[in-house]
Amino acid sequence: MAEVKSKIRAINEMLTGKEITCTELTQQYLDAIDKSNGDLNAYVNVTADTALKAAKAVDDKIAKGEELPLLAGVPMTLKDNISTNGIETTCCSKILEGYKPIYDATVWKLLQQQNAVLLGKTNMDEFAMGSSCETSVFGGAKNPHSLNHVAGGSSGGVASAVGGNIAAYGLGSDTGGSIRQPASFCGIVGLKPTYGSVSRYGLIAYASSLDQIGPITTTVEDTAIVYDAIAKLDPMDSTSQGNKGAGACATLKNDIKGMKIGIAKEYLEGIRDDVKEAILNACNVYRSMGAEIVEFDLPALKYALPVYYILACAEASSNLGRYDGIRYGYKTPTYNDVNDMVCKTRSEGFGSEVKRRIMLGTYVLSAGYYDAYYKKAQNLRGTIVKDFKNAFEKVDVILAPTVPMTAFEVGKAVSDPIETYLTDICTVPINIAGLPAVSVPCGFNAKGMPIGMQLIGNTFAESTILNAAWHYENATHSTMFKSAEMGVKL
Amino acid sequence: MRYELVAGLETHVELSTKTKIFCGCTTEFGGSPNTHCCPICIGLPGTLPKLNKEVVRYAIRAGLATNCEISRISKMDRKNYCYPDLSKAYQISQYDKPLCKNGYIELSNGRRIRLNRIHIEEDAGKLIHQKGDTYVDYNRGGVPLIEIVTEPDFRSVDEVREYVEKLQLIMRYIGVSDCKMQEGSMRCDVNISVRPEGQKEFGTRTEIKNMNSIAFMAKAIEYEQERQIDIIESGGSVQQETLRYDDVTNTTSSMRGKEDANDYRYFRDPDLVTINVTDQEVEELEATIPELPDEKLERYVEKLGIPEADAQLLVKYRRVAEYFEKASEGTANPRTAANFIIGQIFRTIENESAKEEFDIPVSAESLRELIKLLDSKKIRMNLAKSTLDKMLETGKKVSDLISEKDMGGLDEEATKKLCQEAVDANPNAVADYKGGKEKAIKAIVGYVMKNSRGKADAMKAEEIIKQIIQ
Amino acid sequence: MVSHEDVIQIARLAKLSVKEDELEAMTKEMQSIVDFADAINNAPTDGEEFDNINNLSNVFREDVVVESYPTEKILENAGDKADDCFLVKKRCL
Repeated sequence: MAEVKSKIRAINEMLTGKEITCTELTQQYLDAIDKSNGDLNAYVNVTADTALKAAKAVDDKIAKGEELPLLAGVPMTLKDNISTNGIETTCCSKILEGYKPIYDATVWKLLQQQNAVLLGKTNMDEFAMGSSCETSVFGGAKNPHSLNHVAGGSSGGVASAVGGNIAAYGLGSDTGGSIRQPASFCGIVGLKPTYGSVSRYGLIAYASSLDQIGPITTTVEDTAIVYDAIAKLDPMDSTSQGNKGAGACATLKNDIKGMKIGIAKEYLEGIRDDVKEAILNACNVYRSMGAEIVEFDLPALKYALPVYYILACAEASSNLGRYDGIRYGYKTPTYNDVNDMVCKTRSEGFGSEVKRRIMLGTYVLSAGYYDAYYKKAQNLRGTIVKDFKNAFEKVDVILAPTVPMTAFEVGKAVSDPIETYLTDICTVPINIAGLPAVSVPCGFNAKGMPIGMQLIGNTFAESTILNAAWHYENATHSTMFKSAEMGVKL
Repeated sequence: MRYELVAGLETHVELSTKTKIFCGCTTEFGGSPNTHCCPICIGLPGTLPKLNKEVVRYAIRAGLATNCEISRISKMDRKNYCYPDLSKAYQISQYDKPLCKNGYIELSNGRRIRLNRIHIEEDAGKLIHQKGDTYVDYNRGGVPLIEIVTEPDFRSVDEVREYVEKLQLIMRYIGVSDCKMQEGSMRCDVNISVRPEGQKEFGTRTEIKNMNSIAFMAKAIEYEQERQIDIIESGGSVQQETLRYDDVTNTTSSMRGKEDANDYRYFRDPDLVTINVTDQEVEELEATIPELPDEKLERYVEKLGIPEADAQLLVKYRRVAEYFEKASEGTANPRTAANFIIGQIFRTIENESAKEEFDIPVSAESLRELIKLLDSKKIRMNLAKSTLDKMLETGKKVSDLISEKDMGGLDEEATKKLCQEAVDANPNAVADYKGGKEKAIKAIVGYVMKNSRGKADAMKAEEIIKQIIQ
Repeated sequence: MVSHEDVIQIARLAKLSVKEDELEAMTKEMQSIVDFADAINNAPTDGEEFDNINNLSNVFREDVVVESYPTEKILENAGDKADDCFLVKKRCL
């Protein structure tokens, strides 16, 4: 059986083999964006000139016969919360309208060094706060598999663009599931790396102790390639440690006979039957490949959701204090004094979900409530970390659903905030524990909407989970992966 | 009824590191607006802080010089409040785990002012208000500060004054700050309350913020003390509030603005990691602490026999003390160098800050050279003094001003010759002396001294002159 | 119970303005989210203080000057600026 072909390698071979010039390829993607973005609403800012300039540079390299990095000339996209020097970066919020960073995020620096071609910035929930991409000031991104379903959130734009083949890959950010959940909804691959393996410098903060940047791609190998490219120690980020291992590509195809894959019963409670069934089938696939399925408990899991929302909102309330209209972004046109200017700017500039979380975060940090909420939640975070540590004494990888359900219909998510928060139950514990997890397609529901499963690893064990993911993908690709009927066909 | 003052101080000291606390921008004072800024210190979205190692070292040294315990485990916290001079809407500071704790500074009256803590934090930018408009300059934003917090141990304005001067001097001795209050590199907030003498409980306190002159601070405290006493005497009660001192009207007035929302919602800054200080680091830093003013003073008085008043003047300025120690090194009596410095040299320096700089044309080495000539009796004091004056004017070296032949006393013959000459040259003085004006002889002796360039022995000369005249 | 006063105080700290007619709805919403957060109230804890996720310590910068940005870059995104400063006008009506 032929191996699943990495899209990045395929493009690299086409370019080095001179089957197509980078400029032609980039133009194909730009044309596809013109054609499909109206429906998908994946891109909020298409950077055609920058892309074609970068493509030209790649073609010159090829002409000169220079060595091409693997990612050179591969057309890609960045979530709109990753800072790009001179290119508008808004977090899809009115409060950052017109804001053009004067510096590059470290991940973008690294990709530029590999001659990446940036097609544009993609849609997201405002300040990454949401699970459907619909809190975006530009409206939500749509699901390539069904335009009346959401792409998911918060990195919905990246997932929609990659799933819709109008970007070869993209970088999103994951604070409580924002990479894995949209990847799952769109039937593609998304990795939330270990906290600290990828630099956060230039990522506009939502919750600093939970945020991580990671790749969204169509194949596991592509995810490994991009992860290896961006997981570098960065002196600009005190919490950054880089990729501690040899990198994910090196061990991607290693045999997984005897690998211990854990299933926690807490993770199978309260999830839709079709999703549960898909997970149990995945267990069988792994058994057939000689892996061992181990059942274990994660008692602290039941507190993960409130702990997440308390910690994330507390940090957000502080991180988002700086948007006061003075140095950058939106400023209210009329005010009576400085304080009035700040309050009106923020009230007019932030959407309702962002304000809701700022209010909650301010509440749990304020005098009289700090101990009962923030302090307690911090403490429980420690307990959850320990629970996972214990688990990884017994297992190599944890298998779990990415989301308890499949993609919501457009407009369904935003109605009740709490209901929406509950859909993050499977993803938030991983951010709380700072662990790596990759979401891979593992089936479709009756309506043909993709189902995703996540493989969770111990800290800095990206190579292990991607190794496990690669084997699953190769065993099931023909049935579990369906490319959307749009965008660039290679 | 008599009232007692109870005051406590929070002093902000700007550290003289080369760069800001969380980014590589310079800490230089002044500069045109927003020229010492980068994405990090103006708080652009996505930027992250990175702690300057030197800031931690400076703060620990400040703690060691003020008898503090150094915390082995420390962390940075966010103090959240929204104000235009604060680019991130939070100040990165330390809340419950300061770097230094439980120190003290001893005053001349023997009382110890207890230091509750010393912690590190970032300074805010500067706001310039013009016709109601606000101009924001972030050059100062992110400059490293230490905040030194005392217990409410002050009982008089003089104690406050002495404490601030002492703190200033210690920080200058260990070289962590220039503590220039006029430039804002040292600023004080003072908590004030009063209570009837003998009463145990504290009264309600008010806080006066941001005072940048010791004189004004003294005035402010005196004013506020009186204000509170008047309130109590007239049956009212003092409101706990934050005040601003107006040095023009010499009054305090209630402060508005960020203070009306003082729920700072402190929490650990997730962008920064734990600070671990090892015993070894503390020992290494301990070794870098120089002899401090109090120890110097004691040594000068006890070991070098300098009168206390003089010793005070020498230790008051770090550079002067260093100069004195160099100049007196290996000389017969350190008092000689002390006298030259406090006398002739200080006379050529007009103000305090010039004494602080102590940038004079005479090197400590050449002063020592001069003193050694005195010690070996090669020259006499009055020649030494006139030479030092010339050195201070011209910056010339001793050897340029005193030649071999000036050295050594005048022999009998030469003195006799010079005395005869003097008598002939001063007939009036001679006449006066003969007429009974004893003093007149001094003029004749003076002539001898002058023409011998101070080398003649005045006593001897007077004898000879008397003989000649009789 | 979250009161109107709580909401007003929290909004003041968060620098958000609350209109009279929004107050009731916001209070209700705050209450529902706070109830949701209350799920941790009776969770057992070991009282151990959580450090940072990877227990990192002593990550420092050397005290070496890096060139600052040109003033025009620093002010580039500011709505109002004057005399090389960010400007907040007294009022805008």
